Formats: sequence, structure tokens, C-alpha cells
Amino acid sequence: MNSPVTPTSQSGSAEESSDPEAVDRLLARIWAELLGLDPGDITPDSSFLRLGGDSVLAVRMAALVRTRVSVVLELSDVTVDVTFAELSEVVRRRSAEGADAGRASEVPIEVEPRADRTAPFPLMPLQQGYFVGQQGGWELSYDSAHFYGDVGLTGVDGEEAVDALTDAVERLAEHQPTLRARVDPEGRQYVLPPEAPGAVPEVRVYDLRDSPENEVTDTLTRTRSEMSTTGPDPVRGPGVDVRITLLPGDRARLHTAMSLLVFDGWSATVLNRELLTLSADWNAVLPPLEIDFGDYVAALERLPSTEAWTADRDWWWSRLDTLPDPPALPLRTDPKDIQPTLMATRERHLSPERWAALRDACARHDVTPSAAMLAAFAVVLGRWAGHRSLLLNSLQLNRLPLHPDIHRVVGAFASTMLVPVELPTRATFATIAAETQRVFGEHATHNLVSGVEVSRELARRRGTTRPVGPVVFQSTLGMDAAIGETQPSSAGPLGEVSFGDFYHQLRTPQVAIEARVYELAGGMAVVFSYVEELFAPEHVDAAFADMFGLVESLADGTGWDTPVELPDEVAAPRDGLRIGQLDAERATADTGPLRDGLERDLAEIWEELLDTPILDRGTDFFHVGGDSLLVVRVLSRLAQRTGLTVGVRDFLDAPTVAGLAAAARNGVSR
Amino acid sequence: MSAERESGTIGVLGGSGTVGRVAVNRLAEAGTGSLRVGARDVERARAAVREAGVAASRARVLGVDLRDPAQLAAFCSGCSVVVNCAGPSYQVLDTVARAALAAGADYVDAAGDTVAMRALSAEAPTELETRSAVFSAGLMPGLSGLLPRLLAEDGPLERLDTYVGGAAAIGPLSAVDALLTRGPGFGTALAAWRGGAVVPNALSPLRSVALPGFRGRVHAWPFLSAEAEELAATLGVDELRNYTVYVSERIPEALAGAWARDDVPIEEHVPSVVAAADADVAVGGPWYTLLFHARPRDRDRSGPTRLILRTPDSYALSGVVAALAARSLVEGGVPPGTHAAADVLDPRRTLDDLVADALVDEVDLG
Ligand SMILES: NC(=O)c1ccc[n+]([C@@H]2O[C@H](COP(=O)([O-])OP(=O)(O)OC[C@H]3O[C@@H](n4cnc5c(N)ncnc54)[C@H](OP(=O)(O)O)[C@@H]3O)[C@@H](O)[C@H]2O)c1
Repeated sequence: MNSPVTPTSQSGSAEESSDPEAVDRLLARIWAELLGLDPGDITPDSSFLRLGGDSVLAVRMAALVRTRVSVVLELSDVTVDVTFAELSEVVRRRSAEGADAGRASEVPIEVEPRADRTAPFPLMPLQQGYFVGQQGGWELSYDSAHFYGDVGLTGVDGEEAVDALTDAVERLAEHQPTLRARVDPEGRQYVLPPEAPGAVPEVRVYDLRDSPENEVTDTLTRTRSEMSTTGPDPVRGPGVDVRITLLPGDRARLHTAMSLLVFDGWSATVLNRELLTLSADWNAVLPPLEIDFGDYVAALERLPSTEAWTADRDWWWSRLDTLPDPPALPLRTDPKDIQPTLMATRERHLSPERWAALRDACARHDVTPSAAMLAAFAVVLGRWAGHRSLLLNSLQLNRLPLHPDIHRVVGAFASTMLVPVELPTRATFATIAAETQRVFGEHATHNLVSGVEVSRELARRRGTTRPVGPVVFQSTLGMDAAIGETQPSSAGPLGEVSFGDFYHQLRTPQVAIEARVYELAGGMAVVFSYVEELFAPEHVDAAFADMFGLVESLADGTGWDTPVELPDEVAAPRDGLRIGQLDAERATADTGPLRDGLERDLAEIWEELLDTPILDRGTDFFHVGGDSLLVVRVLSRLAQRTGLTVGVRDFLDAPTVAGLAAAARNGVSR
Repeated sequence: MSAERESGTIGVLGGSGTVGRVAVNRLAEAGTGSLRVGARDVERARAAVREAGVAASRARVLGVDLRDPAQLAAFCSGCSVVVNCAGPSYQVLDTVARAALAAGADYVDAAGDTVAMRALSAEAPTELETRSAVFSAGLMPGLSGLLPRLLAEDGPLERLDTYVGGAAAIGPLSAVDALLTRGPGFGTALAAWRGGAVVPNALSPLRSVALPGFRGRVHAWPFLSAEAEELAATLGVDELRNYTVYVSERIPEALAGAWARDDVPIEEHVPSVVAAADADVAVGGPWYTLLFHARPRDRDRSGPTRLILRTPDSYALSGVVAALAARSLVEGGVPPGTHAAADVLDPRRTLDDLVADALVDEVDLG
């Protein structure tokens, strides 16, 4: 089977992406162009890797497929070792899914290096959420939104390790400007020049090489607790905190905490790899990056003026009023009454063999592993919440493929996407997974408008300041392949990395429970992160057991074809304390003319920030274009001009001029 | 001075129209002398007088075409006040005013902007030394220049915002006036008054905004009218923003479309303006709001800073204002000369009269 995929190397341009042969011709031309080949050299079983492709080119390829064939590929579709026949098959499948979903919109913008790399730039929507969360703005928020992890190292060169790590962090901060990123109190971000004092994160060292066992345990416990509860805050210093504990027996632990305000999960993976690569070799040079995160944000700022963006927005807006409620999981405490400090986790791993089996089973059923895991989580939630129509939130780590370097740049690219799931009764899991994949794909083709913006509008329409999507799914299955180069396990003076010996903690605001699936040491990890105060422990136990059991049955093939048991109810039950209950009707606003000097000052501040007249004391901030970031700005200006301080949550409780004035006068602040 | 003038006859020209018939009714109800109603179509005028609930004995109907000077002079002769509710205003300008003054009558115009006043002042009739001509005695211009003064009574203003509009049918005659009210003399789109001068392009349209007193979301188009400019100067405000409010973009689009085609006679654009207004009214019936919002220079001062007035019918309410202006003339409350109604009517008393009028749904001053 080595005949070329294209009979003639040059064909007409009037190709239809619905015609399979035309699609193959387009794909062959893309490969030929990227790999410097003649399209005639490409055979169905030639793999991208063998023809000279690498991960950089693979992402570029996905970008070209998106613009020229109008098909959006998923992360896991774009592996470097994909063969031409496999890619052609995937493109056909995605294009068939996209046919119901509407074509992927072409993104008519490009990322270019900005003239001034130190100029401040706005926060992306999800960053805004984290930023406001850090000010205690949301129910379920923390002083810092961050990820913490520590991993075991063996065969460490105790004399060299610290220098190697310190030097690696310095070089990394040179290579990835986002390590030097800061956020100002009004919610704008900027990058410090490398020579600015404090720009480069400092490595902290705990030398316990000669310490007794109990001191080692104590220090580890203390460090973990401290780094889990007090994350790095880019408003005050670097957004990353790197520490190393040197242990007896040439062992060590590498601790990293990263602020979600500046790094997403993808970036964490990239940073860890680059840190190890640089630590391993004093002379290692990372391929230079043409663009940085600020360039990407600057490019994205042009999106709303494009037709493609407007079309996506209209698509979402037209669906908002019919979206279901989030899973009505029974609660033991009202989220507004708690101040959690940590999220609890449940975690189990699928061995590399079973993970391979799961991938095969998914392929046989024509679904991606991510779609299957999302469907499994939805089934578990449906049983737990007692209804079948659910609004889930998903964390999206993929970046818009606007530049070939984009996947190697670190930053807070992540976004969310709302996914409504309607679980049918008496259907097999295979059917549910296929439908979930279709729905997910349909929504993902409209991803120019971020889920954070969609959620904000949904909250506005539902008249609530509570999170509208507090139940989250996140899959990074396929991300490793998309990033390319596998994790180096050997890091020179830092020794060998034991991925099996990995401890981690995540705190994300506005999340009640989040399911995460990712690849780890060749296998797959299934994790629930949740706010412990909210749920009865036996409920979480049961749900997690249900989830993992379902995953195992999918891996061994038995879970696909029997009808899935689900409750009869479609809509969320209303009894008792549950997720998704909206705030009690806001006290009918105190309307009327602005009453006094304070209300007039407030109205003026609102006008400055919202660019719309504020003519009534009952005006709701969120009905006149306000968002959470602007709340922070209003409060900061209020404090500047009047010396009065109000907490974000107090503002959200009564977001009118009259309400804010009352809060300011009472001097309430949490 | 004829005997009839002494007994105080008020002539309403165009008294069968949307504005005029209400003026007739209110004047009759107030019992301000006897009435004379003029229009070209006598039958229609009689019917209008009947419908206005005025006894035929109290209102004489005269056939008159204002373009015929002899007929016009005959209509004015013997009146103590002539109230003009005929149009189009841009064509009438000072025609009726001159005839009224020549007949020794005072004059009220339910329309008539600065342009009409200038026309009259250009070669001012000597009668103006003793008689008065009051223009812009309607809703806008008229109430829009008068009522905001109530907000400045308790202290000077830093900023004044005025929003006037809603959904109202526009007759073919008023459509011509709407199409012609642009250019120098009328006002400047997108301009604001700042620091004693007109600042062009200072404001942008507010699309889909919620405004107190207005229904749902509306579109507000900045237009610094001659009247608003006058008001700003009179009150000495630092900034004035004047908006015309529409329930949809249909009317602004129809007007813009017409202005873009000035090779075509203006009359040909009338149907599209009338249709746009009808479409607006079809959505939720007729309604109209005046909203004035002041930011006092002294932030902590007391006294009202906002006024909302709502009416179902802006045209009819203009008739009410014209009648109030006529009453003021009869009472001798207006000095001789040419004036805008906003400069000579008493804002407080006018508001009280409006509160009592059936055509006013709500007045909220606070
Ligand atoms: N300031 C404001 O806020 C405001 C608001 C609304 C209207 N206006 C103005 O008020 C005026 C009247 O508007 P409208 O909507 O009431 O108009 P309308 O309903 O068409 O009434 C016009 C009246 O004038 C009469 N008329 C027309 N041409 C005439 C002529 N050549 N000679 C004598 N009488 C004539 C008509 O009767 P015949 O056809 O039988 O002659 C009718 O009685 C317009 O200039 C308009 O711009 C001002």
C-alpha cells in the first residue's frame, strides 16, 4: 500500500471539503508544504514523524487544517506519529460532526510580536475570574488560585543540585517572559524586564540531608501545607514558587507552586519539562520563541470586531435561555456560608496497559478518550444529582492555533466552555458517549467566545452572582503528545524524577467539584477535586467509586453496550440544599434619583468605567455592562477618592448604586 | 383694537390636526375666551371641534389656507392670540406670526425653532414692541428646554443630561419637519456642550440602554439641539448632553438613509420615516418619556436632581403646552418681543398643570 495519496501533485483549487478525495488532496498539500516534500511522496501509511515532522509542525498542521479545510482537530488528533490515512480519517469524522455543528469559524487574526514587550495588557476572561476570586469576590474563592505539586527525586547530586536548579530558573525566566509577569491592583498584567529586582523567582532550599526522619516528615508536612494554602500571588511577587528539599540518601523533593492567574495546566507541563531540561544540562538552549503571552492577548483583543466572533457570540447567546441547570448535587452546607482554604482530592490511576486498552476501546467506538471520560462523569453526576439534563463546565487548555510557537509559550491561555448534557434513558454508554462527543464538538466549534464570557451573560440573565457552572470537567488526555517531547525523567544533578511519587493540590475559585483526567507515567489518572465542606463524604466516595468503576468497565470493554441506569427526572429537583439554587430574589432594588454626594460619586465612577449614564440609584451594575474585574476597579477608585472600603462580596450582594453606597457607609468589609 | 379682540378671541390655526385639536380642547376647558378654529378643510375642522367636546357656539370654524395672505389676514383679524398648530414648520417659518402681529394679536407657535425666530427677528415688525411672539411651545422644542430649569433652582449644575423620546407615530407633515431639522440652526449630532462651547463628536450613541422612565432597552442618539445649547448657556452648566431616544434603530436609519440621498426631493423620503415610526409604535403602542438628570456642582446639596415625565402621546401633549402658552399671554405674563416658550413660561406652574393633565401618566421629580 504505497501508492501516493494524490494521483497528480497539482490539482484544481475548487475543492469541496465534503469530497473525501478533495480533502485528501488538501491534506497532502499541507503536509508537503510543511515537510518540504512533493505531495506525490506521501503515502497513506507514511507517518508525519517519519516524513520529518515534529510537534511544532504538528500544531502548525492543525492550524492549516483549521483554516484550509475548516475542520477543528482535537488535541489528541494531532500526534506527531499520526499517519496520513489516520489523519484523513479523523478529519473526515470531525468534518461530519462539524456538518451538524456548523463549520469552524476561520480566525481572521494573527499573532505578532508587540512593539513594547513591557507594556501592560488586559487580563483574559478566566484570569479575571481568578483575580477577582483572590479578592474574595466569589462564593468558593481563596486568597490565591494556584496549583501545587511536589515530586520525588533520586540519585541527586546534593552539591550541584541547588546551583543547577537556580541557574535553570534564571534561564527559564529569560526564555519565558511570563515567569516575570505581574498583575497590578486594578487587574492589568505586565512583564518585568529580567534585570528588574525580584523579577526572577528565587529558589528556596531546605537542606535536610543530615536530619533525622521525624524532622524530614515535619518539614515536608509544613512545606506542603504552606505552599498549598498560600500560593504565589503575581500581585505581590512572582507567580511561581520553586523550592527543593534535599533529603538523606541522595534523595530530594522538588516543590512547585504556580498561580493560575498567570499559568494554565498546559503551561505547568511545559515549565516542568523545560525546568528539568535546563537543570539537566548547563548548556541546553531552548528553541527561541517568537511571541509571548502578551502578544497572544493583544491579538485576541481584535477578535470581537470580527464577523467570526460575532457569529460565535450570537450562537451562544441564542442558546442561553434554554441551557439546563448545573447538576443539583445535594449539599451539606450553603456555599455562601463557608470560607474553604483547600480542595480535597480523590485520585486513582489506570495502569499503562489498561489505559492502552481504554484508548483502543474508544477508537472502536469512534469516540475520543476525552469524550468518553466526559460522558462517564456526566453519567455519574446524573445519578448523584438525580436528574438527566445537566449543565457542565469544562476547562479548555488548548490555545487558538494562531502561531506555530503557541504551544510552547507559557501563560494563562486557558478558558472554559459550558457543555449542556442531556442523558437519554435506556441508552448504552456507547450511544451516550457518541452523543456527548457530538455535542461537545458542536460547542467547541464556537470557541471564539470564551466560556467565561458566556457564563457571565448567563449569570446576568439568570439574575445571579453565584457561579453558573460550578461542576467542572477537565481532560488533558492527548496534551503530552500535542506538546511533543516526552517528559525528561533524568535531570542531571537533580537525578531521576519518580513520577509515581507525586503529590499535588489544586485550588480553583467558583468550583464546587472538578473531575480531571490526565496521563501520568504512561497510565491515566482520574481525580476529583472538591470543596470538602460542601459534600457528605459518603456521597463523594460513592460517586468516585462509580466513576472509576465505569472507567474500568470501559477499559475492559464490558461497559459499552449495556443500557446505562439513570434517574427518570429530567430537570433538577428543587428539594433541600443543592448545587445550582440561585440567590433568593434580590430585594427589589431601591430605585429613584441618586440621593446624596456618595451616590453621586459612585455613579460617576461607574460612568467612567462602564461608559454609560448612571441615572438611577437602583441601577444594577451587571445590567449596564459591569463585570467582576470592573467591580474590583470600582472599589479601588472608591477607596482612592473617598477612603471608604467595601469587600467584593458585599458589592455582589447588592450590586446597585444604593446598595454599594449603603455598604460603603456601613464600612462592611469581609 | 376691535371689539372682538377685547373680548379675547383665541384663534387656533391647524386646530383640526393632532396637536391643534388638543390645544382647542384645553383652551375651551380653561374657558379662556372664545375660539376660532382655522384649517383648509372646514368639515374636518368642524368634526375635530365636535370631537374635542367644544360647543359649536364657543368655537367658530373658518376655512383658511395660510399660503393665501388675504385668507390668513382675515383669520387673524380680531384675534387677541393666534396659536399656530399648522405646518410644516420649516415652510411656515414666520408667515403666521407676521400676520398675527399685523392684526394686533399675540402669537404662539406649537413648533418653530430658532430658525423661525430668526426669520421673524430679521425684519422685526414694529408690533413686537408691544406684542409677544412665543415659539417652540410644544414638547420638544418646548418642555425639553423648560422643565430642566427646575433642577437648577437649588444650586448650579456641573452636568445636565436630557433624554427625550419613545414610540410615537409621525404624520407626513411632521415627518418633513423631522427630515429638515438638521444642519446649522437646528443642532449638531454627536456634539456636547462643554465649558461654554459646542464640542463636536464628544458623544457616541448609546445603544440598547435602560433609562429610568423609559420602557425596556432603548437607543439614545446625541443631538445638541439649538434649544439645548440655549439651555446650557442660560443655566451656565459645565456640560450638557442631549439625547433623542428611539425604541429601535428604524427612525435613525430612515433619517440617515434620507440624508444620504439629498439628490431626491425631501418629500420622497417621508413614507419611509412615517413607516419607521409606525413600526416602532406597533411593537408596544405609543409612549413617550422626558428624562432630565442633573449632577449638581455641590455634590451634597439637597433639592431635586432628576425629573421624569411620561405621556402616551407626545403630539397631543404639545397641544397642551401651546394652550398653556396662550393662557400665559392672555394673563399678560409674557413681555413683548420674540421668545422661546422655555424662556417665558414658569417651569414650576407648567409642571403643576401637566401633573393635573390627563395626558400625563407620571411625573417624578426627586
Ligand atoms: N414642538 C413639538 O414638540 C411638536 C410636536 C408635534 C408636532 N409639532 C409641530 O406641530 C405642527 C403640527 O403637527 P401635527 O402633527 O398636528 O400635524 P397634522 O396633524 O397634519 O395637522 C396639521 C393641521 O394644520 C392644518 N393645515 C395644514 N396645512 C395648512 C395650510 N396650508 N393652511 C391652513 N391650515 C393648514 C391641517 O388642516 P388642513 O389639512 O385641513 O388644512 C391640520 O389642522 C407641525 O409643524 C409639527 O412639526 C411640534
